[in-house]
Formats: sequence, C-alpha cells, structure tokens
Amino acid sequence: MKWHLIATAVAAITIAFPGSATSQQPSPSAKWTKTYVIEWNEPAMYYGAKTGVIDPGTDCPIGTNPSPDWIKVLVDAGYTLEEAKWLRNPANPTRSPVHGQNQMAFRGKDRANVYVNPTSTPDPGLVGVSGSLAEGLNLDGDENTGFTSPTGEKGIDNNFYKALGCWKTYRGPHRLSSGALNFNDAMRDGSWTTVIVVSGEGADPMNDNHVKVGFYVSNDKMVKDGSGNIARDYTFRIAPHAKYEGILPARTSNGVILSTAPADIMLRDPGYTRNLELLRARVNLEMKPDGSLTGYVGGYRPWEAVYKGWVNARGTVIEVLTWVQLPAVYYALRRNADYSPTGPGGEKTHISFALRIDALPAFVMTPDASQEVASVESYKAIAPKETATTTAVPFLVVDGIVPDRNAKVQAGPNAVILPPAAGSTKGPQ
Amino acid sequence: MSLPFNRRSFLRGMLNGTAVCVALPVLNRFLNVNGSAFADGAKLPVRFGTYFWGLGLTDTPTGGTRWVPSKTGYGYEIMPELESLKPIKDKVSVFSGFRVIGDGRPNLVHWSGHASILSGVAPAAPDRFDGPSFDSKVADAIGGATRFKVLDIDASASRQPVSYSTRTGATFAMPETTPLVLYTRLFGAGFQDPNSGDWKPDPSVMLRQSVLSAVKDQREALMAGVGKADQVRLDQYFTSVREMENQLAIQLQRPEHCAACVVPTAPRETPRSATVDAVRANTKALAKLLAMGLACNQTRVFNFVHTAGISETYLAGESKIYHQITHDEPIDATLGYQPETSRLAGLVMQAFGDFLIELDAVKEGAGTVLDNSLIMAFSDTGYAKIHSIENIPMFLAGGAGGRHKAGQHIHTTGESVTRVSLTAQQLVGAPVGEFGSGSMKTARPITEVIA
Repeated sequence: MKWHLIATAVAAITIAFPGSATSQQPSPSAKWTKTYVIEWNEPAMYYGAKTGVIDPGTDCPIGTNPSPDWIKVLVDAGYTLEEAKWLRNPANPTRSPVHGQNQMAFRGKDRANVYVNPTSTPDPGLVGVSGSLAEGLNLDGDENTGFTSPTGEKGIDNNFYKALGCWKTYRGPHRLSSGALNFNDAMRDGSWTTVIVVSGEGADPMNDNHVKVGFYVSNDKMVKDGSGNIARDYTFRIAPHAKYEGILPARTSNGVILSTAPADIMLRDPGYTRNLELLRARVNLEMKPDGSLTGYVGGYRPWEAVYKGWVNARGTVIEVLTWVQLPAVYYALRRNADYSPTGPGGEKTHISFALRIDALPAFVMTPDASQEVASVESYKAIAPKETATTTAVPFLVVDGIVPDRNAKVQAGPNAVILPPAAGSTKGPQ
Repeated sequence: MSLPFNRRSFLRGMLNGTAVCVALPVLNRFLNVNGSAFADGAKLPVRFGTYFWGLGLTDTPTGGTRWVPSKTGYGYEIMPELESLKPIKDKVSVFSGFRVIGDGRPNLVHWSGHASILSGVAPAAPDRFDGPSFDSKVADAIGGATRFKVLDIDASASRQPVSYSTRTGATFAMPETTPLVLYTRLFGAGFQDPNSGDWKPDPSVMLRQSVLSAVKDQREALMAGVGKADQVRLDQYFTSVREMENQLAIQLQRPEHCAACVVPTAPRETPRSATVDAVRANTKALAKLLAMGLACNQTRVFNFVHTAGISETYLAGESKIYHQITHDEPIDATLGYQPETSRLAGLVMQAFGDFLIELDAVKEGAGTVLDNSLIMAFSDTGYAKIHSIENIPMFLAGGAGGRHKAGQHIHTTGESVTRVSLTAQQLVGAPVGEFGSGSMKTARPITEVIA
C-alpha cells in the first residue's frame, strides 16, 4: 500500500529533460515527452563515392553532372558564337555579379524564356541516379518498388533523389553537399527554427505503440556554442503557424520512431521552395543514447514547386553556380514524378522525397511560454493568419531574372546582343 | 629663436575679422633626436586605415584551411594564401577563429561580416549598417589635424563605387576610384607642398573659411531662438562646421618641411577593368599615392577597398568571375580544398601584400610609414562557398608607432570579430573602452598584440 502511494507521487512530479530517455511529463494526454531542435536537415541523397563531393560512385557512375558549356548552350539556342562569347564575357556590362546575365533566360524556341516555359527547349538532359541504394522511407508500403536502403531495407521511395541525386547542388557526403551547407548555414545563423516534440502513452519511451511526433516552428533562434556548434538544451517557444506544422502518429521500437499511418504535413523546406508539403508523410527517427534524434521524415512533395523555387532564386545565377540547365531539372522531376493525389490514374504532380534530420535535445515551451509542452497537439487553431511571404533576397525576381530597371535595353527575345563596335566594352545596357 | 609652442598648441588669430584656431602638424621641433617620438617622450601620432577585400580566404567544412597558420604567437608559418605577406610578415598579425554573432539576425550574405566588424552589430538590412563604422570614431580622434580627416579609396573597378565607411549607417562615403582622381585629390588644387620655398596662403581657402566663420558668428543668436530638438540639430551642424574650419585652417599654415614627402608625378589614366591583374595594379598605384599622402601629412585615416563583398573581379580571358568560382567549385577530394578558389584568393592577397609594401617603402623617421600606421584588413566572409561568417580572416598590419606587437598569430575559437576591431581602435589611441552590442559587445581587446 505504502509503495503504491509513493509510486503515484513520483509519477506526478513534473520534471522534463530534453531528449532524455528518462523525462516524464504529468500531462493527462502523454506519459512521456521528448523535445528537440533541428540543427541540420537536408534532402536524403545517398552518396555512393568514397571520396570528394563530385567523384564517380555507385550512385552516379560518371560522377556529378559536369558544368554545362554555356557558350555551346547559347549557340545551340540560336545565338552566334560571337554573341555567345560576349554574353559570357565578365566585361559585358549587362552581366551582373549579383544577377547574372539576364539574356541567358532567352534560349527557348523563338528565344522564349526557358525558366517560365521550360518545354520551349528540348530536354537538355540531367543524368540521374543509376545506383540501387537510397536513403529514405517506404512510402507506398510496397517492398518491390523503389530503392534498397544502405542497411538493406527494401522499397525505399525517393524519386527526388533518383532525379536530382547527381546534380552538384545535392550530391555529396552527409552534411557536405553545397546545397545542404548553404541552407543549413542560413538556418543555423537564424533564418528559421524547427522544433520536434515526441510524446507517448506507454511506460517505456523506447518501446511504445502510441506515439505522436510533432514538427513546429519556433521564432527563437538557435544559439551556437563557443565552437560554433548549435547549443544543446536551449529553450524554444512554439510559434503557432497556419502552415508549417506536422503531426504524425507513430510507435517506437528499441528507440526508433516509426510511422503507424501516413499524414499530410507541411514543413519549412531547407531550400528555395520554402514550403515542404509532404503528402502521405512518414517518419523514421532514432532516439540516440546521447539524447539526439536522427533519421528521416518523408512523403510525396509537389515537384513543380521545387523547379519554381530554383527559378525564383534567380535562374541565371543558379544555373551557372550549380552546374545545371534548369529546364533539365524540370524534365527530370516531371519524368520521375510518382504520385498523384487524385489516385493512381491521375496526373503525377508529386514526387517521393525524404528529408534527413539531425536534431538536438532542447526545451520546448508552449506558445505562451508558461510551461514545457507536455504532449503533441496542433496549434494551428491559434496561429495568426498567414501573411504574404516576404522574400529574403534584396531584389525583385521576375520570371527567373532580375530586370535592370536602369538599362536602356532590357534582356529579352529581341534584345540587341553585340556592342556597337568590336572590342568596345559599351554593350547594350 | 624659441617659440612658445608644443605639440598640443593651436595657432590662434584673426582672419577677416574672425578668430581662427589652428591645430599644428607634426613638426620636427616636437620630436626627439631619434625621430621616433615627441621630445616630451610621447609617441608619434599613428595613421589608421582599413583594408577590405571580398570573398574571404579558403577553408573547408571539414576543417582544412589554406590560410590559418598552425603555430600561434610569434613566428607563425606562411600559409599558401598568405605568401604575399612573407616579405613583411613580422609587421603583420594574423587573427583566426573570430566570428560574427548575430543574436538571431540572419546572415545577410556578403554584408553581415564586414558590417559587424565595422559597426559592432549584425545588420538588420542588407544595404545599411545599424551604426557608424568605427573608422569614423578613429577619424574623430586622430584625423582632425590633417587636410583630409579621412580618405576613402576603392580599387575594385566595380560597376558602382564601393565604400563601407559610414557615420550614419545609411549613407556611405564616396571613394576615389582611380590613381588620377586620388592624385588630384591629394596633390592637385589645395595641396601645399611642404618643401616649397614660395608658399602663400590660398586665397580661395581664405574666402571659404570666411564664409564658414560668418555662419559661426550667428550661432549663438540662432541657438537662443530655437527649441531643444533644433538646438541638438544645430549643435551637430555647427560641430561639422567647426571640423571643416579646422581642416581649412590647416591649409592657411605653412606646412613643415617634410623629408619623407616627395610629390609624385601625376599618373596616367588607365583603362577601367575589374580583372584580377588590373585591380592589383590599381591597388598598387593607389597605395603608392596613399603612402605619399600619408607621408605628406594630408590625412591620417583612410579606408581602402580592394574588391567588394560581392567581388566582381575575374581572371582575364575567363568567363567565370571569382565570386562564382567560390560557390560553384567543388572541393578537390585529393587536395581537400577548392584549388581554383584558393589560387584566386592567393592572387587577391598579393594585392594586399603590394599595398603594405608600398607603405613600408616610404621611410619616415627611424622607420617607415607602415611602422607609424595600423591597417586593419578583413573580409566579408570566412568560407566563401557557403557565405560563412565564422573564421573571418582579419589582420593587423604596421607598427602603430610601436604600440602593435606585430608578427603574431592569434587564434580563438568562436570569439567575436569585434575584439579585433576594439583592439585596432585602442592601438591607434581612439578613446574607446568597449565596442559592439549584444553578444558582440566587448571590452576585451587582444592584449597579446598591445605593447
């Protein structure tokens, strides 16, 4: 009798440890809660080479797609060799170090803008992944479709990887691809924060059949320690968001969190797309002994939004920096799209995708900061109305280019390309 | 004949009915027999300058570096991208591991780094600082006794002139961009050759001073008739007027003979180009003029831009510019770094070496102009490929009149860049006890380099 009373009292004590296997919450809705902050996230792109970031490997046997020969690209699009060389000459006053060469957009049929009309040019060809291994999740439950995971799991659905895995932006070892470095550096320097709450109803957090996983926005910025790493055990308040929130039912097995049913969620994308809409989303996340969390959240995402994200990041700049012709990205995504929200016979508007996550233990508070979160629940009902997203870039992108308002002649299908006199640096403005 | 003046004296008198208060330049009579200090033992005044180049130096996310020496303290080894500093290594201190701490403000690429170094706070917007650049404080402290309180120079041949010097955070200085323009500014109209035998006051300067003085005469009456806010505005205005009067007044005095000052010949106008070689040549030519401008006591504070944060420089004949290469070049698996980026970084740093060598080539007293100067050099980014604001390369060059214990490598892990900025200010005698705000606020200069 006495022991029973003591056990009841202990269960009522409210002490939470971020990410700790021993944390306890008194909430009536959850027996235990673990809380984290995402310190790194990147598209799950299995790297099949032994060294470097572009070398040939089992994923991409000829290595990363090489940088296009832009002179040839322009000549193939109908420009004369002299025009093409002048357009690519850094001395050309219409070529901006910030905005690139706007005329590069106009290389479709009849010099259409290939960014807004990618099918105005034939598929330039983006070599995709030809290996059999991939990271990610079995989204359709069919072990006979998709890749095999590096640990041997069958049926990994990740056609995003298949389409773009040999593009320099995404290719590289864990945390070393150029895209992952860029976007995570921005996140870690304060651009956005995503927290994760995991709660369960069972007695053992490591093995619990009734678990929920919640992804939330926080407006509190991550803090770096003296070594430049994200600090553990920092405190974040959930910021209710009308769009960026995801709640998934799950179970835990030996510390691994696995979805029990798919869910439609929206996260903050570590990329130019910004909205990471995931249909039939699932998770596979491991609670590590050191308190951290690592693994995947994945689902089917709209592929055309990915393409437009890159275009709106200044297509002319993205193309030369990332070694790609954006129309090739459009064709590759369209070709590999593998999901239709309207059913198997519908248009494939979505593509299978997985986000690789590294998260640290953190204290996560309710929106009013009155207490630590005690369970996974939705805050959308109290989220402020979504306002128009403001762009972080200090310039206006129109159809993939940044028009030079002060130029006498704008880039376009009818632009005069060559300067009036050979050797002059006074080209069309 | 003995004159009752010392280095703190001002010339006082009347000009066109107006009292004139004139600071004196450094005269030989004020110096000790060695030419290294004033006769009363105080150090010679030092010059201060900033030197900025875009795109940082080469790191890798896996910990490799092409510029951070492994040895700290004196006798650091010359790393590949610092090769140009070899001839003057003992006059240059290297600072590594310093970072911008944004306190939640996002990294505004090619902006947050140098904005934080100069203003002490991570900026909220990509086209302005959240405070004045500290060179303005230094200019207030040491720049008032010369013809130009501060000179701004841009060697980059960018499409728009580049300067990061600001008193308001919103408007930036308009720099001189070519050797001919800088020459004209320094040695053209208004220049008084200190070695000329037929010096006469410039009537145009006298006229301009009379106009300004007339404004000053009405000050008290005007101040008495306005509200407090307007009094503050007027006070700011009259302060600037007084500063200008002081600058003009200097031109009314016969300059002291200055052995180090040799008026250069006017340079030729050169074709404008942003190629690496052209910018390097421009840097060298501008540095040569600047060095003589310092020796001729035309200014004691300057800001020099080699290339902008978003650098436009490129190798002649190549279609990719340096900025693009920093982003798009992969890391070589064997070498462990971006080889072309590193090569370009080394070329860009050659211009910094040239710059310092030009200042070191002008003998002055027992040393050189560089010995009596302190140049804080820095970039906008650390690892440019990802716009990192960690491990931003920073250097202090020159002896600061003996106050800088130069030739050291100082390495920290994740400390604020403002510590270097504060150190620079204190080395040149600016009355600054702390610098920066938020997590970058510091009252801790790097004492290892302060004599």
